[in-house]
Amino acid sequence: MPEKRNVEINSRQDTLALITPEIRPWPVSPPPSPEEVKKFYGKRKAEEFCQWLEDTVGFQYSWQKPEALHGFKVLDIGLWRLGHKFVSALLAQAGTETISIEPPGGDPMRQLTPFGREEYMVADKETGEKCGLDFIHEMRNKYSVTLDVDTPEGQELFRKLAVHADVVIDGMLPGYMDERGVGYRQLSQINPRLVYCWVGLKGQWGPMKDKVSKFGQWELDPIAQAVNSYIHNTGFPQDQLPRGKGGDPTRAGCWLADYVAGTQAAVNILAALYWRDQFSNEGQFIEVTAAEALMDILDFDISWYGFNASIKGRTGGWDPNLNQYEWNPCRDGYMMIGGQSDRLWYRIGMCIERDYPQFGRLIHEDPFLKEVGARNALHALIKTYSVTTRWLRDINRIQAEEKLMDYEIAAGPILYIDETCEFPHFKYRPWVYTTESDYGTLLYATSNNAYQQRAPHRLKWMGRRLGKDNYEIYKRYVGMGPTTVDELKGKGVI
Amino acid sequence: MAGEIRPKSKEELEEMKIPYEEYCRKAFDPGNEHGKPGALTGIRWLSCTMYIFTPHSAANLAELGAEVIKIEIPRMGDAMRHTSPFNEAYLYPLHDTRPMTGTGFGFLNANPNEFYLSMDYHIPEMREVFYNLVRQADGLTELYRPSTFDKWKMSYRSLSQINPRFIYVWGGGFGYGPKVFGGSYDILAQAHAGFASITGMHEHMGGHATKSSNWVMDWNSGSMIAFGVLGAIHWRRKTGLGTMIEFSQVQTAAMVTEYAVPLYGRFGIVRQRWGNWDTQLCVHGIILCGKSDFPDAQNPQDKFDARYVMVSAFQDRDFQELCNITGQKQLFDKYKAHKDRVEALAQVEVYLALEKWAADKTRSQVVKALTDAGILAYPVMNDREVYESPHYRERGTIRWMDDPLYGDILNMSGYSTGHLSKTPRKVSWIWRPVGADNVKIYRDMLGYPLSKVEEWYAKAWI
Repeated sequence: MPEKRNVEINSRQDTLALITPEIRPWPVSPPPSPEEVKKFYGKRKAEEFCQWLEDTVGFQYSWQKPEALHGFKVLDIGLWRLGHKFVSALLAQAGTETISIEPPGGDPMRQLTPFGREEYMVADKETGEKCGLDFIHEMRNKYSVTLDVDTPEGQELFRKLAVHADVVIDGMLPGYMDERGVGYRQLSQINPRLVYCWVGLKGQWGPMKDKVSKFGQWELDPIAQAVNSYIHNTGFPQDQLPRGKGGDPTRAGCWLADYVAGTQAAVNILAALYWRDQFSNEGQFIEVTAAEALMDILDFDISWYGFNASIKGRTGGWDPNLNQYEWNPCRDGYMMIGGQSDRLWYRIGMCIERDYPQFGRLIHEDPFLKEVGARNALHALIKTYSVTTRWLRDINRIQAEEKLMDYEIAAGPILYIDETCEFPHFKYRPWVYTTESDYGTLLYATSNNAYQQRAPHRLKWMGRRLGKDNYEIYKRYVGMGPTTVDELKGKGVI
Repeated sequence: MAGEIRPKSKEELEEMKIPYEEYCRKAFDPGNEHGKPGALTGIRWLSCTMYIFTPHSAANLAELGAEVIKIEIPRMGDAMRHTSPFNEAYLYPLHDTRPMTGTGFGFLNANPNEFYLSMDYHIPEMREVFYNLVRQADGLTELYRPSTFDKWKMSYRSLSQINPRFIYVWGGGFGYGPKVFGGSYDILAQAHAGFASITGMHEHMGGHATKSSNWVMDWNSGSMIAFGVLGAIHWRRKTGLGTMIEFSQVQTAAMVTEYAVPLYGRFGIVRQRWGNWDTQLCVHGIILCGKSDFPDAQNPQDKFDARYVMVSAFQDRDFQELCNITGQKQLFDKYKAHKDRVEALAQVEVYLALEKWAADKTRSQVVKALTDAGILAYPVMNDREVYESPHYRERGTIRWMDDPLYGDILNMSGYSTGHLSKTPRKVSWIWRPVGADNVKIYRDMLGYPLSKVEEWYAKAWI
């Protein structure tokens, strides 16, 4: 039992010190033991294979293995957005040496914190400098250097750094780097092997290219989600919830388009490096935008308009293409169930019928619902899901999951973040893990490329104090000693 | 000397002088992608995949110039071929023997440029044929439940014996651990990883956890695999060794929840939904206008839903101007500092005031009023408006293409994934019927005589 203490709580501030990982460690309950997990492997007589799998790709062996992209150098310069930060974090987790360049005042994103609450920012252990968690979460394995590319000295330094780089990631406004003589067309002259990738919101060119407001404010996601139809198509329709009270077009909770752009930029950059190293010895210019990268993965939506002038509407927790494939309310939240092919369709029914025998008569015996394609009609969805929800309303999420798992249905509850972090499977892998950072112990979501036989991706550190690596990086790549660095700091260049 | 820029020719000198926007247009040159090489030329990938997630890993490689062979169940194909929105958009035929069955639009964009092979791996005789494919390929993606390919002697432990350079990807929901045999879909990733719990209106505002209309976690996980594969290919260039990647899709959704995981770990606080507003910036959200832009339109999506505007004015001067032109000066006086107006209750007040101002206006009136004042505002666009937008048209990211089999197809994918100046992505065809390239692969590549291929076909082994 933990020791009992007397604490007085007068404000939210007083509670914060009581729940740090040192006092309330993650996970709250221990992860499942290997013995418990073996029982699950036994269900398909796969104990031996799964043991081999764990031995081959297990997370805990990451540190005994080399890094895939060791030797590649990446410069990342940008402000405000997650796209360029996400791609440089992905590359850094795969082993590149990644240098994040910020102006001497720092990226304003360091100051962002939910609802403006400074108490949710964390302090660097050495300097006490505070930083928002959003920035820290994307500042993975990156060195932090400051540089003002508005100054001629800064531009000169940037060019000297770029000579060593395999990749430059540009997250600034369109043409900003070019105007200062440090864009692709200038850098490719001094480093023809350079892969230069601009990551933005809508584009460097074209009628709706990225701009700033009259007062200099940047455009940020979810603007990208708004201009590619993602928002229009997401959310509950008015038939299910009143407009203005939940029945509206809905943005993703996160800056999703930025993340998608980051992923695609990483793919494009590695492909360009492959072409350089394998064939041409030449770098190239890449542009990835959040609006288009997300549009790329909006299923077939725009093409569907081209097919028969359909404009997709909202379908809430349901899907117009598949039945069953949805989430619906249950006793303590929402339960997701999926299974479209006949085989799975009838298995879901067999599971539900155990508790609710009417299901078979109402759903499986309905001649209209026997045909895979026909089941997707709107009235078919309404009927299927009404009857399914009749079953769900009496049980909670975990009960529903256990029952459906017995039939090997793809099903799972909607989890809140705390439940996600404490979900047994997530803890076992682990998909959520702790790291001891400069900002104290932090919880993070691990990389999904961390489970590899040879060169898994990994987190080495998270968060970096602004300019922490100035001395080291400028010495190594520019040959500039601490005295000069301090001088340039005084002038506001670094 | 480092840092000095010396154009090497007159053309280069000219290129240095043209305006930047024009330079970009020229560098990316939409419409002429097929005149440039593919980055992944020579890579051959096997795609034993279905649905969207794992196919999209191979689609990324195929767009970038790799030769991808998609292996499907004979005469049936990928389950996604039988998927179409409200059962209405199909292209025919599915297979030689099934002229009246089509492939649905659900299959679109997940398997472009690929060669379509059919094979029933359950047949022991076909296994040796499969091994021959493996001997000539760089890697594969598969999505079967863990241990299934192992039982068929087709897992990495078998294939790495045949081809030590082989890169093997298993993609699924969970991977090793207690839920190892749990199946997965995009929607499950959204649900399980907390992504859905932070998307949608707050429950105090009548909202529910909201599903992204699109299968974003499927698609994005596929790209994440492509990233992992390319990393492995780079590493193989150095060492000559293949690898196995075990990739779980549900995890992708956890990676994109921003500060939610560290916030929980550090402070025990569970991030909640915040609807169409932003938890870290204000004003940076979507407002409802009183009137539709198209009150007389036939299509309800235009008629009733052309009413939303994304407004962004979080910096002090932008917010001040926003308050001025919407007649809410008192709001600026009250919330001069961003720290104050981004607080939850302040946000409620600010957005309600903006919606009140917009109550007698159409969407385009609101956008125009704000844009004229120099403030950032965009209409929430629907599929038709995105299609008609000159921006995407000029950039070539939405374009009509002439598919070799299916004719005019409006393409929104591939080119929109990123512009590469020297090795652009390409979309050559959207898909082919099941087994369309059987002869090309079985005879021309693997050297089986035509009579053998015909025999397999007659037995429905391929």
